[in-house]
Amino acid sequence: MTKRKSSSCILIALGLITAAILPFFLGTFVIFLISLLAVYSLVSIGLNLLMGYTGQISAGHAGFLAIGAYFTAILGSRVEWMPCIVVLFLAGLFTATIGFFLGIPILRLKGFYIAMATLAFGVVVSDIILHWTSLTGGDDGLGVGTATIASLSLDTSHKLYYLIIFVTISLTVLAHNLVKGYIGRAFVALRESEIAAQTIGVDIAKYKTIAFAISAFYTGVAGGLFAYLITYLSPDAFTLELSIDFIAMIVIGGLGSISGSIIGAVILTGMQQTLAGLQDLQVFIFGLALIVFMILMPRGITGMIGAVKERFFRP
Amino acid sequence: MLLQVTFSGLATGSIYALVALGLALIYNTTEHVNFAQGEMSMICAFIGFTFFKLLGMSLPLAFILTLVFSIFLGIITERLVIRPAMRAPHFNVFIITLGLSIVMKSIAGFIWGHDDYPYPTIFPDKTFTLLGTNIDLPSIGIVLCTVVVMLILFLFFKYTRYGIAMRAVSESQTAALLMGINVKRSFSLTWIISYLVAAVAGLLMAPIVFLSSRMGIVVINGFAASILGGWGSIPGAIIGGMLLGVLDNVAPLYLPAQIKDMIPFLVIFAVLVIRPKGIMGIEKFTKV
Amino acid sequence: MGKKALKIVVMVVALVGVLTLASSPSSAEVGVTDTSVLVGCSNSFSGPLVYPGTQLVNYGLEVYFKYINEHGGVYGRKILRKYYDDAYKPQNAVANTRRLVESDKVFAILCSQGTSPVMATVKYLIKKKVPLLFPYQGVPIKGVKTIFTSFVPYPTQAEIVVTWLVKKKGLKRIGMLYQDDKYGYTFRDPARKALRRMGLDLVAAQSYKRGAVDLSAQIAKLRRANLDACLLVCTPKPGAAALREAHKQGWKGTKLISSGPLTDEKFIILSGGVGEGVWGLSLWPDPVHSNLPAMKEYRRIMRKYGKRKDNKPNRYSLFGYFYAKLFVEGLKRAGKDLTRENYIKALEGIKNWQNGIIPPVSFSPTDHLAQDAGFMVEVRGNVFKPISGWITLQNGKLVETPLQ
Repeated sequence: MTKRKSSSCILIALGLITAAILPFFLGTFVIFLISLLAVYSLVSIGLNLLMGYTGQISAGHAGFLAIGAYFTAILGSRVEWMPCIVVLFLAGLFTATIGFFLGIPILRLKGFYIAMATLAFGVVVSDIILHWTSLTGGDDGLGVGTATIASLSLDTSHKLYYLIIFVTISLTVLAHNLVKGYIGRAFVALRESEIAAQTIGVDIAKYKTIAFAISAFYTGVAGGLFAYLITYLSPDAFTLELSIDFIAMIVIGGLGSISGSIIGAVILTGMQQTLAGLQDLQVFIFGLALIVFMILMPRGITGMIGAVKERFFRP
Repeated sequence: MLLQVTFSGLATGSIYALVALGLALIYNTTEHVNFAQGEMSMICAFIGFTFFKLLGMSLPLAFILTLVFSIFLGIITERLVIRPAMRAPHFNVFIITLGLSIVMKSIAGFIWGHDDYPYPTIFPDKTFTLLGTNIDLPSIGIVLCTVVVMLILFLFFKYTRYGIAMRAVSESQTAALLMGINVKRSFSLTWIISYLVAAVAGLLMAPIVFLSSRMGIVVINGFAASILGGWGSIPGAIIGGMLLGVLDNVAPLYLPAQIKDMIPFLVIFAVLVIRPKGIMGIEKFTKV
Repeated sequence: MGKKALKIVVMVVALVGVLTLASSPSSAEVGVTDTSVLVGCSNSFSGPLVYPGTQLVNYGLEVYFKYINEHGGVYGRKILRKYYDDAYKPQNAVANTRRLVESDKVFAILCSQGTSPVMATVKYLIKKKVPLLFPYQGVPIKGVKTIFTSFVPYPTQAEIVVTWLVKKKGLKRIGMLYQDDKYGYTFRDPARKALRRMGLDLVAAQSYKRGAVDLSAQIAKLRRANLDACLLVCTPKPGAAALREAHKQGWKGTKLISSGPLTDEKFIILSGGVGEGVWGLSLWPDPVHSNLPAMKEYRRIMRKYGKRKDNKPNRYSLFGYFYAKLFVEGLKRAGKDLTRENYIKALEGIKNWQNGIIPPVSFSPTDHLAQDAGFMVEVRGNVFKPISGWITLQNGKLVETPLQ
């Protein structure tokens, strides 16, 4: 093993150990918050795979989150013996399928049109949930049962935390490998210039729909975790505002960067939590942050760190 | 019943058309998508409110001053928020306008509070019956105003120097620059005109939707109308708006209650899938 | 990859550090010290219910608590408050409520708002045995030791109105315009059931999406149905839009009736004068004009302790003010030794509490509802004028007591 690889392994191990022992030092609310951050990070990664790497916009990711969440809640209650991991995986798969079929008609559209189409999708999903009362309980809301693995019931904040962190870390590593591989490079080619990508043999249609499907998968799994964490679902949870929050996360964190997705999720949620008592001011700061970031730091925080690194470490 | 509802639809549709018009103007000249178009109407309506309610001016005077004020707002917005990002990719500016819409909403809440206020209409509140339908003057007034705005803009773009310059810029910024057109000035002008249109839309819509800091949500209908009529097309904005308004009102008559709420969004989806360039859309070719 | 992991860990630790700093010292009972008692809630300080939320908290709860604190508090305890914004998103309400319970350690959750946000937190609060007091929502919650509800639940409101229209006013063809969400359904279904029990039915029912103000199709259809009366189960904006559309379309001959939440001054103001003659179910005396001594005191305290902007008497701040008062009444009766159990017992012991605003409040171990009566009003001169006494339902029968 090279020196670099072994030092990163140590750091990863350190990170994992820290994550594992945190519940012993922190209060239940903070653990809950970290769990929520992890869930939003997953969505953020999913959205970044679509927007940052492939250059397509989605203003409807709250819709995918909703699909994953309700699927998990409904399947979990109908098939009680199924381990939650399997339920989550199926939720991701189901959401991915919908994402795939959504991607197909949207393929030929350019930038802004995709944003509008996905916006419409997000709102329609919310509406369907509201009206399909026999399945979703509509505006009555849907209670979510506790996650179970065989005979182990994840009924405390701490137990749920471990599940969420495990899933989040696994999927993050998967995403990292994805973007470093052929698929990731195809995505970037797609973003930089569709026409050029075609000329070097990248099947645009195929990769666009793959991007949608993968993005939806991540968000669907996050939706399932979201359901277990919040324990109560209603159409009000999945609004256009939430979709905009997700876009803000990757804008702040940095488009086209996995760690940027996580940073963005942490910063946005952290900011909202800290300012939650300030009413109007919080909303103002949120809007201002979007403007300032786009003007001064269009590549997000990771972009800025990258630029700083370049400045200081130029040979 | 159908006639009654269609007539209402034309009035609501005119407002959508004005919002779509503002969007089309900005997109045409600068290729930017302005998510804050609805909030622009909201702020202008609140400014008018300040003039006639809090400062006690007469209605016509208040409205005229509002239009004047909107010109300043256009200059400020363009200078302060858009100009710094002029060279940035369109996505960035879209996010900036998104941030702007949020900032404007919270500023309005801070200055005027979050209550809903009734808003007077400059048209006399009279109704008369025609063909079994109740026609009210305020609705006719809205449709007329929209048509007048359309005509003014048409004449502006066809016959005035600035208008022709803006059309040149919308065709090709580089070519326009080479021909000696002040592109920056065209950009400023675009925003000013868009603000004026937003102000008119705000003054016309406030009596119907009531004045509140959340009025800006109408921009979604503006987007739907633009897509329906052809994104970037100015006559398309008007046609799309009117059509959307009528569709919105007629559909609940015949379709089950559940579907009707989704109409604007289903319309967006359907148009994008079947005929993305909309009714009057222009195909733009990307250079490699 | 290593740098990334490091970045993540550093960030998490930093965030955690910031948040752990916000924990409060422990005490005998959660949220209670010798000199203070801490309450709070998650509420709407932005989003669709921003106006009711800010009014309820800033000009209701806050003004009354400031008033009480200025006069020494209760048994030497000042009332401390903590609020967080959930923007009507249930997941934010859950996060905020967990923060209040686990991090801020409140004594009780007081006056949270909105069906979705409140219902999302109920199971959790029951599990944690944290009292949920007087939330602003109308879905019935019964049989929970730690939950006390506020105004007449929507199903009861629907029954009262419908029964009054049929039995007292002899109307037969009843229709409804309702909001397409839980608020609307919780009116529509009980109303239909009550009508069927009396041998009638809901002749026509039209819905609209929350926030819509273009109701021409719905009004046109309802007009066609030849109704004696039409219930408006709306919020003030769409309700006012419905009135104006009715006026525009020349809809006459049908009595329009506003539901409890709609019988609000804003409904009249926004409809711009076309509301004359409309009936409604009122849950409160007129916050602006009522000359009851307790109402005058409400206006006085609101003027004195409330911020200057947006300071107008209205039913939302009245709600906050009233339930702050009721909360304090409970504190007084619980005595110096304040625990959650004592407090609940104290509330349950309240019988015929004369408050000068709504009928005397009584609780019991099986009755945790503060208000079960409303009175009918009619709009005259842009003001809601009473046309009945306080009406409640006992065994399906209307029982009326005079307004004080």
